[in-house]
Amino acid sequence: MIQRECGVLKTSYEADMALYPLPIARWTVGILGVVFFLLIPLGLHEYYLSVCNLVWIAVIGALGLNILVGYTGQVSIGHGAFMSVGAYTAANLATRLDSPWPVNLLAGGLMAAAVGAVVGIPSLRIKGLYLAIATLAGQLIIEWTINHVTFISGGVQASIEVPRPRLGSMVLDTQRDMYYFLLVFVVLAIVGTMNLVRSRVGRAFIAIRDQDIAAEIIGIDIFRYKLLAFAISSFYAGVTGVLYTYFLGIANYEQFQIGVSIDYLAMIIIGGLGSVLGSIFGAIFVTLLPIVIRLSMEAFGGLFFAQQTVLNLIPNLRLMLFGALIVIFLILEPDGLNRLWRNIRNYFRIWPFAY
Amino acid sequence: MGQFLIAVLAALVGVTGVLGGMSPAMANHEIVIGMQCDRTGPTQIVGTVICPGSHDYFSLVNSKGGVEGHKLKVLEIDHEYKVPPAVESYERHKKEGAVSMWVYGTPQIYALAAKLTEDRIPGTSPGFGSAAAADGTRYPYIFPIAATYWSQGTAAVKFVKDQLGGNLKGKKIAFIFYDNPAGREPIEVLEDLAKTEGFTLKMFAVPPPGVEMGAQVLDIAQRFRADYVIGHLFGGAPAVSIKEFKRVGYPLNKFVSFVWGAGEANIEAAGGFGAAEGYYTMHFAGVGQDYPVLDEIKEMYKKQGKPAPKEMASTVYYNRGVLIAALHVEAIRNAVKAKPDGKITGVDVKNGFEKISNFTLGGLVPPLKVTPTDHEGGGLVQIWQVKGGKFVKVTDWYSAYPEVVAKHIKAAASK
Amino acid sequence: MSDEFGFFLLLMSNGLLIGLMYALIALGFVLVYKATDAVNFAQGEFVMISGILVAAALDVWKAPLWISVVAGLATMVAFGFGLERVMLRKLIGRPVIAVVMATIGLASILRGIGPTTFGAGSRPLPLPVPDAPIVLGPLFIPPIQLVGALVSLCFLGGFGWFFVKSRKGIAMRAVADNQQVAMAMGINVERYFGLAWAMTGMVSALGGIIWGNIIGVDVNLALVGFKVFPVVILGGLDSIPGAIIGGLIVGVVENVAAGYVDPYVGGGTKDFAPYVLMIVALMIRPYGIFGKRIIERI
Repeated sequence: MIQRECGVLKTSYEADMALYPLPIARWTVGILGVVFFLLIPLGLHEYYLSVCNLVWIAVIGALGLNILVGYTGQVSIGHGAFMSVGAYTAANLATRLDSPWPVNLLAGGLMAAAVGAVVGIPSLRIKGLYLAIATLAGQLIIEWTINHVTFISGGVQASIEVPRPRLGSMVLDTQRDMYYFLLVFVVLAIVGTMNLVRSRVGRAFIAIRDQDIAAEIIGIDIFRYKLLAFAISSFYAGVTGVLYTYFLGIANYEQFQIGVSIDYLAMIIIGGLGSVLGSIFGAIFVTLLPIVIRLSMEAFGGLFFAQQTVLNLIPNLRLMLFGALIVIFLILEPDGLNRLWRNIRNYFRIWPFAY
Repeated sequence: MGQFLIAVLAALVGVTGVLGGMSPAMANHEIVIGMQCDRTGPTQIVGTVICPGSHDYFSLVNSKGGVEGHKLKVLEIDHEYKVPPAVESYERHKKEGAVSMWVYGTPQIYALAAKLTEDRIPGTSPGFGSAAAADGTRYPYIFPIAATYWSQGTAAVKFVKDQLGGNLKGKKIAFIFYDNPAGREPIEVLEDLAKTEGFTLKMFAVPPPGVEMGAQVLDIAQRFRADYVIGHLFGGAPAVSIKEFKRVGYPLNKFVSFVWGAGEANIEAAGGFGAAEGYYTMHFAGVGQDYPVLDEIKEMYKKQGKPAPKEMASTVYYNRGVLIAALHVEAIRNAVKAKPDGKITGVDVKNGFEKISNFTLGGLVPPLKVTPTDHEGGGLVQIWQVKGGKFVKVTDWYSAYPEVVAKHIKAAASK
Repeated sequence: MSDEFGFFLLLMSNGLLIGLMYALIALGFVLVYKATDAVNFAQGEFVMISGILVAAALDVWKAPLWISVVAGLATMVAFGFGLERVMLRKLIGRPVIAVVMATIGLASILRGIGPTTFGAGSRPLPLPVPDAPIVLGPLFIPPIQLVGALVSLCFLGGFGWFFVKSRKGIAMRAVADNQQVAMAMGINVERYFGLAWAMTGMVSALGGIIWGNIIGVDVNLALVGFKVFPVVILGGLDSIPGAIIGGLIVGVVENVAAGYVDPYVGGGTKDFAPYVLMIVALMIRPYGIFGKRIIERI
């Protein structure tokens, strides 16, 4: 379909720099918009909508982590802790000050950004594996702090119930309401990230990832930009935490432990480091994987195993498949699902020619 | 080649997922119960036994024709003790029309509390979860239906008091606990009792996953020199605690453990019944195989030509699974009796739970009395001791300091 | 006063002995990193799988202890060779995060396989070591800790000698230093990689047996793997004497934190106190006390 790029003329700089300069891209976005804004929420049952909501929350988190790991090259295993910082900030504000959800959302994100910048300070001196372990230490320390400082955690249970968000007089308490609520933020996050990586800041990030010494020589203040990367990524994580808290109705630090950090790392690796579309694919894939495994085992497992064995097998199978998929993707397709998609897209882009 | 393989794999998974998701419409007159379990996470030592126990009881009821003629359909989903899969499984169960939820895990019941109340489906949290949920007026859809951590705390103190000669003044009690919200739940009640009974209470937190607690045990045994130890550990930690206390030479018969450190599985992980001699344990269900309902389950298996399941030998957790299932069935039975056509909703089952009284299943279940205001049922526990290679009963069903528990419940409700 | 001091001595002895056992597990990590520059995030799971294998051999097949131990060691050695052949060879030369995630994926696989094949219940791993503590004045020393510390010292010493004196050890260091030159000298790089992973497997098996005895064999055994990181970072990722020193420091810090800091802050500092120390150390001396100096300061 090589003709889609023929005859496309731009007459202004803005038009040339638009996010989707090609008409076919605009059509695609439009159709996707209709599907996600109209068809899915109005057509699917509530259970499927709740799964979609989980996916949307994961997308925002994965985008944030990809900014840090994929675009700036700083390995971080502390994403879960930043989410919990955002969640607890928002929960505390909501219960103590009765503040409305936009304030909570922003406050959660900013607090997480601040904490993220602090955790990112070691990136001054250390790189690679050492930085990863330093962020792991950050994750453990933040977890412990929230667990033990009752001012933050709201008491022994370390759980804080938050009221549902209100939009004017409407209370958002069904899955469908949540779906639209989250979708708005997902779109904002995606557009924001796409613009961020095309901007000067984004280019600085990529320079740091590729050749940080050269980047410093040409005048990029890498310390400042590294901290900025940590802060932005943690902002996304904080927002994810707040949205997750509103989705569940309760903030609990046990939801944001190291398993979550590793899940998000898996998302961006399977999806593709350093790409927005990769984060989305990875988030969808990793979130849906356990559900799909369970559904297929329930449908077909009965043919091979007794019922109790199936029940025992499903969760272990999920662990094994999760790990196996990470390893397979790393060995066979290091650039993740994003590369797969690009290959397919490139094939069609220059069809019917071969190259 | 690799990419082609991955694409094929993804397509296969997608197809099976879609096929599996298109489950057939619910059969008429089937009552659906949504069940959660943890078979691969930190509490798998309990989950892999307690869930088969419940499944076996539900199968038994179905084999006898169901509840007043209506069969039960039980859907179990494993959540690895994590909250997001638990929430997703709750939504799935709701979609399938569950009228009762067998929730597993303290963070899970916290996360689902608001949803259960909104959707008006009762959820149970026996022997775990929020102790404040015993208040039926504040949490109408949460049912502890077994001693909560507060009741376990007061019962433990009463037991220690009896063991130390009826007076706790000036004595030193150590509370070793898992450092997470569930583990910290009993602390406020214990501190309250420390003030009124006059004993010195010292806390020893064991950070998750609780596999290494040498320093805390050394402190209890050598520096604090506790007269008695109350343990609130779960997962792999109780077994480790037994071994550590033995290693420092602290007598195990000065140790009483809450309900989740009390199973055969924990004892076996610690090296067997011989190694844990003297260890006191607390239970909210009967221990051992000497109950008619267990014989019925064995009969059911024999009729199918299969031997009794091996989980049955781990009686502590297996019997608890049976107890929880039995209470769900009783609530459903009460609901169906009020609505004989069998089209019951969550509200009916909730009312059914609140009518449970004098249901003891041959001694397996304590004489609970669940009311609209008291969803705990009395907070009854038994103490059994590891002696001579098996569990020996030490006390009968009892509960202690109900006024203290009630005071804390009221304080929690007013927050 | 002497009671307090006695308690302090107890904590110290506990910490030092446990620290040596941490060093044993850290040794596995160091071996792999020293020889192949690969980071093994699955070290804990290796220990867990070896523990499960040996405990299952004792429990399910009722094999006598020494056969189970030998079988466990042999299986883990074979596993190490096989793992390198199948998975890690393909990841040579990839960035850090790739190998890290690959080992995390491997950890997940092992965690799933363990309970599936051998059942989820916790098993004890009985060793012919008495349970009653050895009493030396104010000190209570559990015999298993002594055994563990001795085994650990033996193997740490043995591998230390191996790398310095034996031909294969020197060849392995050459491979780690510069693969291409080593290949030019006629060293079969891939075989040495395999050997390194096999050695890690063997050391993990030892760790699995000893730790399995202390804390019981089940999925939770993998969690000792988390202690590895502070140990190797403090001691240096590729230094064997560093593993010993790092292990001792971590063991002592943990116990001191649990004994003296916990009562003031409500508990739980034991697990992350070593990590705090580690961050401080990273800021001052990123390559650890004995580590190789890589000029990567930014």
